[in-house]
Amino acid sequence: MQKKKDFRFELLMDAGNGAQKAGDILIKAFAKKGIYVFIEPIIPAEISPPKRTPFSLSGAVIRLSDSDITNIGSFSDVVMVEHEILLERRFQDQEFNEGCTVFLDLGSKKRAQDAYDAVEKKVVDSGYNLVTFTIAEEAEAIIKSLNGNGKNMYYLGIMARLFNVDKDFLITFIRQTFKKLPKDKLDSNIQIFEYGFLANLVADSDCISFDGAAHKSEKVLLDGNTAVALGVIDAGIRLYAGYPITPASSIMHSLARLLPAYGGVLHQAEDEISAIGTVIGSYFAGVPAITATSGPGLSLKQEFIGLSVASEIPCIIVDVQRGGPSTGLPTRTEQTDLFAAAYGSHGDGPKVVISVANVDDCFYVPHIARYIAEVCRLPVIILSDYMISVSYRVVDKLKQCQLEDVKEIDDFVLDHFYLDRLPDTIEMVKENQNSPGIPDQMRRVTGLNTGASGAIEYSADSNHRAHQIRSQKIHAIRHALKTPERFGAESGDLLLVGWGSSRGAIEEAVQSLEADGYSVGGLHFKMVYPLPLNIADIFKSYQHVVTVEMAYGDSLKSTPFSMMLRSETLCDVKGLICEAKGRPIKPIYLIEKAQSFLKEVQHV
Amino acid sequence: MSNSNVVNPVTMKDLKSSDPRWCTGCGDYTILVGLRKFMVQNQIFRENTVNISGIGCSGRIPHYMNTYGIHSIHGRAIPIALGVALAKPELKLFIHSGDGDSLSIGGNHLLHGIKKNFNCVYLLFDNQIYGLTKSQTSPTTRQGLPTQSHPSGAMIEPINPISFALGAGASFVATTAEWMGTHFVETLDAAFKHPGFSFVHIAQRCPKFNPTAWNFQDSSWLTFLVDEKNGIAADQKAAPDSKTVPHSPCSYEDAIAVSKDVPNVFGLVYQEEKPMYDKLVIDATKAQKQRSLDTLLDDYII
Repeated sequence: MQKKKDFRFELLMDAGNGAQKAGDILIKAFAKKGIYVFIEPIIPAEISPPKRTPFSLSGAVIRLSDSDITNIGSFSDVVMVEHEILLERRFQDQEFNEGCTVFLDLGSKKRAQDAYDAVEKKVVDSGYNLVTFTIAEEAEAIIKSLNGNGKNMYYLGIMARLFNVDKDFLITFIRQTFKKLPKDKLDSNIQIFEYGFLANLVADSDCISFDGAAHKSEKVLLDGNTAVALGVIDAGIRLYAGYPITPASSIMHSLARLLPAYGGVLHQAEDEISAIGTVIGSYFAGVPAITATSGPGLSLKQEFIGLSVASEIPCIIVDVQRGGPSTGLPTRTEQTDLFAAAYGSHGDGPKVVISVANVDDCFYVPHIARYIAEVCRLPVIILSDYMISVSYRVVDKLKQCQLEDVKEIDDFVLDHFYLDRLPDTIEMVKENQNSPGIPDQMRRVTGLNTGASGAIEYSADSNHRAHQIRSQKIHAIRHALKTPERFGAESGDLLLVGWGSSRGAIEEAVQSLEADGYSVGGLHFKMVYPLPLNIADIFKSYQHVVTVEMAYGDSLKSTPFSMMLRSETLCDVKGLICEAKGRPIKPIYLIEKAQSFLKEVQHV
Repeated sequence: MSNSNVVNPVTMKDLKSSDPRWCTGCGDYTILVGLRKFMVQNQIFRENTVNISGIGCSGRIPHYMNTYGIHSIHGRAIPIALGVALAKPELKLFIHSGDGDSLSIGGNHLLHGIKKNFNCVYLLFDNQIYGLTKSQTSPTTRQGLPTQSHPSGAMIEPINPISFALGAGASFVATTAEWMGTHFVETLDAAFKHPGFSFVHIAQRCPKFNPTAWNFQDSSWLTFLVDEKNGIAADQKAAPDSKTVPHSPCSYEDAIAVSKDVPNVFGLVYQEEKPMYDKLVIDATKAQKQRSLDTLLDDYII
């Protein structure tokens, strides 16, 4: 038996064969045992691409630790894979750890002898351990009776044995997950699992175990999009309007099930533009509302975002970023909607952009977004990304706020986003901000410029005044922003700066670099527009400042966040650690980049 | 929420807001007056009324009505109106939209607004031209009319707004003209009383860019659709030389048949009570067993 502190494995199968289901069952069992888990599904952009093709790669990457983890890590120690094509495909991503063990199912070898031989050779030549196996005949017979389904349960059995999970304990989670299956089918799945468990592919001495203490506090298992949906309800938002788009749709799915039970309305709009229009209509009528989308939808919503700014009708938009431009990579991650969010819509339309880095942020971001949107009466854009939206984590049961009046927002929510309470009175362009139904306060809103009375005005002074007041709303937020979260050295050779989902990788890289004697700090922003006032001072405490971004950059092209930070601080911020590979940024990539950068600059 | 108020009856003067800025002779003035007249006749409270518009000359109506109002963006009044309807179903909604706003940039919203049949009165101001942007071909511009975008004449046949509404499954379809004051107000009246999305097509004059679109000085070209029980009465005073034909608004087949005579026919084309999306959504929400917020996270505890 080998005790592990931190470990990553992955299960790779053809899409539709249930790899994520098997992963879910396994991590629930781990989480219940007090082991910390972080799971990142690999999902193709198509529903059921042809099986036994590289496009069919689907699976779950799972990181386990005996202490809290904030990211998916860098490399996998164990890989369980259905056939040679998926192995070949995933091999290219270079995410297998030194000494990694690859479990390869030989079930398809008869039809692809040469391809199997080639990939097996590749694995062995790279120094990885290869364990090949075929599914036991008895199990194969049951799989056949289930029309080819259930292979995932066999793999689950092998993994449960490998990770030293009690068989019966795990079966309780199979039963829970498949509670809607007819009894005979459920029993068949459990039988397949048991055959896998008995496959004996690993010696007892090679089994892996973790020190987990059953959690003292209550824990919840949540992915980012579910956390956003639950946060929407807790934040008192009572209308959701959305249009289907990957990877934001699951927010709508959760709310479709839940929102009506809390007195809210779920509306599926005819298009992205309509969805935000309905949010604005609802907010005008006095009911807090939200929409969620991804990059293409954010582009479509831009004109309405401008109306929200000009008419001072609040609205909240969640953008779950995916690879772009255009349709890009619908099921891969990127942080490249920053400018579209912060500077999008035509004209000068100041708005607020808040990002999320983990499940907790996802739950509380609707609260803070509602607070800012309503106090300042402007649009607030929440930037999540694919990685956060689908990654599961076990966290302490979240403290609820049950927000009604935004002025009563809890201090801990403000603190969570490094924001002080905003001034009670923030000046509006229009004096009257009443909602329909109130007698003698009738008012008209418009995208045209208006004066304080709300009537259309084209005069030079009036337009200038409106710009000034809208900008001052942003200044008020800027003044209320505290120093964002910092890691490691408070001054030194290098500062790693990031926003949104890179937080975990930055934290881990800084810890590791500091342990190796480097003088390195980290800075992570949740609020990305506006930025706090004191960041230039922080930057000046370090010899070099570089950003960490899931975006493309090179010596002639700045990354979005480095460009923004440069313009805001006039400091030399380099977009050094940037990748647009659609995968979450790895701590090891940060560490290596930082080390080679420091070596380079210190030799000059 | 009653619509009669003995203490403070709604007067024409109460409904005035800022002064309109349309061209002299613009049909929008008569629409504005007709709308006020209708509100006074029905004693609709100003604070419970929301006038919502897109962009164009028609888009300015909310500014001139002392009610609540949203002058939104081009073609997108319907999504906003639906947001208001779902948030505060007790409010009275009037949507104002031009032919370009409705049938070109806002076509998708109109299709789905009609289909959803949410409760509002939809006024399509049809002057067969883009006015505010100065004379470009609109979706209802008659073929051959020279415009700034098609100086040799509009190239294709216009969209028939009535066929569009009927095809989309409208529950209420009427067509009227702003210069026929009585017919206009009576049409609004019928539209307002109808539960659901009441589609009202309005022939509207644009003396500046398309004066030949509607010949309001002669009425021999127009025909009123009349029905003793369900229709809107012919306006003989405004159109003395007009013809009348009997038409039952209850028959979808008859409605489709008569729609080929648009834009020369006026009256109630079709009416049928249909399920309303706003009501369905709100009723479904109400029918849900309500949960306490305290239980929000229970299903996710491990």
